[in-house]
Amino acid sequence: MLLPLLMRPSLGCPQASVVLTCCVRTLRHYSQAKCFLRRRQRNTGSQEEEWHTKNRTVLAYIAAAGVGMIGLSYAAVPLYRLYCQATGLGGTAVAGHDAGVVETMTPVKERLIKITFNADIHASMQWNFRPQQTEIFVVPGETALAFYTAKNPTDKPIIGISTYNVVPFEAGQYFNKIQCFCFEEQRLNPHEEVDMPVFFYIDPEFDEDPRMARVDTITLSYTFFEAKEGQKLSLPGYNPISIRSMTV
Amino acid sequence: MSTSMNFSTKSFRPRPPDKGAFPLDHLGECKAFKEVFMKCLRDNSFDNSKCRLQSKDYLECRMDHQLMAREPLDKLGFKELMDRPPSQAEKESKP
Repeated sequence: MLLPLLMRPSLGCPQASVVLTCCVRTLRHYSQAKCFLRRRQRNTGSQEEEWHTKNRTVLAYIAAAGVGMIGLSYAAVPLYRLYCQATGLGGTAVAGHDAGVVETMTPVKERLIKITFNADIHASMQWNFRPQQTEIFVVPGETALAFYTAKNPTDKPIIGISTYNVVPFEAGQYFNKIQCFCFEEQRLNPHEEVDMPVFFYIDPEFDEDPRMARVDTITLSYTFFEAKEGQKLSLPGYNPISIRSMTV
Repeated sequence: MSTSMNFSTKSFRPRPPDKGAFPLDHLGECKAFKEVFMKCLRDNSFDNSKCRLQSKDYLECRMDHQLMAREPLDKLGFKELMDRPPSQAEKESKP
């Protein structure tokens, strides 16, 4: 409105007109900028809300994942146990070892396996303990007898207790002992020598296991320890930790 | 020996024997049968299948002298020896 009035003196003062145009330009820019800003502010408001919702969703997902992890860690215990039983991983006894199989099993005559025997004693044990045969050839499904001998060369009675080991480890699950001399205290009087038999068999399913296809030699190793009077040792089935600490 | 702290490597777990432990033969009552069995093994290059009769005799000696719980032989895996003992004894006595 004032512009035409302002324009007239521009004819007379060019400097004033320049300043004027500058002012007008600035005003125009300013008003444009203000409009833009107002539009922008309106957008920012909704965008903020959007971000807010997005943040909440992400937070909810993260929280759910965290709770899921905690739940999974609780569920893993029985699941792992089931998995171990199914696959036999980690050395757990494969379900299905049946003592009644001895009556009905038939020997697999094609598969000849060599069983080698090893005898060890603990450092402080003074018995002379050795196998009476270095090796024996058996077939799966046939019961076999083997002998160890132990002699007490000292002048006082010594009580020993033994444990065994089977190498290769995977074959250990097929190596079944019907009767032996392990895990029970055996007392030898001074200068006494006894025969210790081991009556065992290899499960016929050994022949069907693909992992055992290359296994031709199984080593049975017995180790004798001295048992202290009054010390109670439990069978490995009940408390395997005591046996493990003994053998390690 | 066999630590069980590894997940993937197989470890060995000793199992108790099915019928328990043999009582010790302090008086050497079955030593003779054991000697016969060991001689049979040495003669047959340690082949267990050829010395089944001797191992059966040893276990029967143990059962007779209260060194082993009495069990029917087929439960100990000697089913084939029970079915035809006369022919088996003939085969053994021939050579």
